[in-house]
Amino acid sequence: MKGKLGPFWVLAVVLALVLAACGGDDDGGDDSGDNGTTETTEAASGGDDGGEDGGEAGEEVSLRVLVHQNPPLTDYMTDFNAQFEADNPGVTIDMEIVAPGGDYATAVNARLAAADVDVIDYCIDPCAGFSTPVEDYMGDNVEAPAWQQLIQAGLVMDITDEPFVQNFDEASIQDAATFEDSVYAINMGRVSYSGMFVNNDLLAEVGVDLPTTWDELVAACDTINATGNFCMTQGGADGWPIFVGAYGLLGAAFPDQAALAEGLWTGDIKWNEGEGLALMEKFQIYAQDMLEPGVTGLGHNEATARYAAGDVAFLPTGVWQAPVLEESEPGFDWTYVPFPGSDNAEDNQYLFGKYDMSWMIASDTPHPDIAKAYLAGLADPDNYQTFVDATGYLPTQPTATLNSKLGEAVAPLLENYRVGFEQYYISPTGAGQWANGSQAASWFDPFNEWTDAGELADQVQADLEAGLGG
Amino acid sequence: MAVMKKSYLFGGEKRWRNLAPIYFLLPGVLFYFIIALGPSIATSIYSLTDASGLRGADVNWIGFDNYDEFLFQGLASRDNIDATLRTLRFCAIVTLVQFSIGLILALLVNQKLRGRTFFRTLFFMPVILGVVIQGLMWKLFLQPRGGPMATIFGWFGAQSEFLGGQPDEAFMWVIVVQIWANVGITMVIFLAGMQTISSDLYEAAKIDGASGWQLFRDVTWPQLTPAVNTNFLLNIIGSLQAWQLFLVLTGYKAGTQVLGYLVFAEGFGQTGEAPSFRQGFAAAASMVLFFLVLVIGFFANRFVTWRERKFL
Repeated sequence: MKGKLGPFWVLAVVLALVLAACGGDDDGGDDSGDNGTTETTEAASGGDDGGEDGGEAGEEVSLRVLVHQNPPLTDYMTDFNAQFEADNPGVTIDMEIVAPGGDYATAVNARLAAADVDVIDYCIDPCAGFSTPVEDYMGDNVEAPAWQQLIQAGLVMDITDEPFVQNFDEASIQDAATFEDSVYAINMGRVSYSGMFVNNDLLAEVGVDLPTTWDELVAACDTINATGNFCMTQGGADGWPIFVGAYGLLGAAFPDQAALAEGLWTGDIKWNEGEGLALMEKFQIYAQDMLEPGVTGLGHNEATARYAAGDVAFLPTGVWQAPVLEESEPGFDWTYVPFPGSDNAEDNQYLFGKYDMSWMIASDTPHPDIAKAYLAGLADPDNYQTFVDATGYLPTQPTATLNSKLGEAVAPLLENYRVGFEQYYISPTGAGQWANGSQAASWFDPFNEWTDAGELADQVQADLEAGLGG
Repeated sequence: MAVMKKSYLFGGEKRWRNLAPIYFLLPGVLFYFIIALGPSIATSIYSLTDASGLRGADVNWIGFDNYDEFLFQGLASRDNIDATLRTLRFCAIVTLVQFSIGLILALLVNQKLRGRTFFRTLFFMPVILGVVIQGLMWKLFLQPRGGPMATIFGWFGAQSEFLGGQPDEAFMWVIVVQIWANVGITMVIFLAGMQTISSDLYEAAKIDGASGWQLFRDVTWPQLTPAVNTNFLLNIIGSLQAWQLFLVLTGYKAGTQVLGYLVFAEGFGQTGEAPSFRQGFAAAASMVLFFLVLVIGFFANRFVTWRERKFL
């Protein structure tokens, strides 16, 4: 009987060997070979506790950095990395650039799970810093957003006590980098997405004044289209630019967007009543009458290049596209104004936006001091000013200024800057795919199946209430 | 010789002869356990938890809550069931059309015609391209701003956003690409089957005065039974599991998701605004897909077995 168990003993031994070989080293700190790096002391000298990084002087370190694709940003990061390497002999920055959107979420998850990243530019959709956590009014019927999951899983380093955090303004620290009184990130910039770029020369050519109300905008588009030019273009191939381009309409309808998010959850605000229904009708006009045909053939950056050709009057999108537009060297005078979504010009003075990327450190990085030094470098006021100049983000450091052409355009409006809806909203579990009405502009024909604003508004509300238990 | 016998693992020569096949099978069995069966069992267990998939995150046993949410909670369940039905529609259309076109192409390139090698290569070529390349090629072809298909539409005064437009139209284009990408394999399997049919059968039938249609119906089709069955099963299972083309061509667009894509999007935080990592829920969705493949595969297998008994 004993002899018959031979094959099974062989199987057991082989299984044990394989499983042992597959077993990871969770502490991640001792075996430098696991991380594809060797150790250093040079760069760690910039940290408060340089001894943590261990290793011997003169050895090489590779700091693994994950960043989302955004040409002005990645150009800046390439220059910054070169400077960081020059300032820290022995340190090499291994920067991976991943397309924003779904691919980025997958990359963050996979790299953190594999302990294969040291510094992360947190830009998982909607790339809004630390958007709202689960609020009390949401109850239990909601999933925590990805950034909250990462922190609660212990994958992100607490940097509350790092001096460089204080280089940023208090609002950005609280709204975009803090969870349960601890700071986990530095937020590198705000953006506004509720405005539109304006081709002043084209407006003058067709005899149209800069519209300041919704009715004026509708009339302006009719005139512009009648001349053979186009009212608006958009990067519809990426999907999200279509509804983000209509966030100005959302802002004009609901200036207090935190209250909008809460009102939708509590049932005080409905998408198919009053302002909500009127908003859906404006979304339909924007999607069907204002955007030029074929925008789903343009990616986000391609749309900006297309806009620079000069026969489109407006490009409703975020300020982050200003460097792309300037690089395209448009042969016309342009500016950036709030999207005139209301018939009352007074309501159209606000810029809505969000906090963009937040930089964080993986909690189990084998190079904590170098990673902190890297963030300290990004947060350095001189470097930060260069960053703002290069990328066009609205600064989150009080000492930085927006010196670009875009800065001139938006400076008078920054007093009226407000954080937008997507920073506040999470759909309830069980809500249908149409529940987030802020994206409804992208659901009208020709981008999706809806042709009637009222019917869509009813469906949006029904999908939301299905999650709320209504 | 005595030395040789002593070196046999676990006993003598007779015992070695009995056990040798098992020893040789062990690496393969082990590989199967680690790569296929192990993850499958883990997925079924995962589906009963709230696992996020993040290293270090809490994992709680929640029973069948994920299944309950997938099938019954709110209107998200409507979207999930729509995705399931869409998957079945995708499977039915792809299987039927790919099977038919593959058979026709195989019949054509099996003729003694000039250039048949070229056409065999041409029809098979899409198979060797990766999904991303296939998708990008068709995105260019279906580019609504001056792309080739937009130009053709323009000749007839029509206009379309193609993949970025109506969900039903986008879904139809994904079906087209799926068939284009995989029909080469179907064709090759049929072609291989046709080349095993003895020419004597055709000659005998011709002597009996059989027409071209009769040759196909009474000789080719019955003799192709193994190839027909293989293609039938491969097309069904392949199309039920297909989702990568949806990722490349349409993204997570309302009204176009199939079950495979839903699993990926839920698991890796790709569902749009404020996404979460929900690998427990994704595992439950993948178990639904597994069940679907199992049931359809079971009946498809019964069908092909019946065909084999009938024709062979």
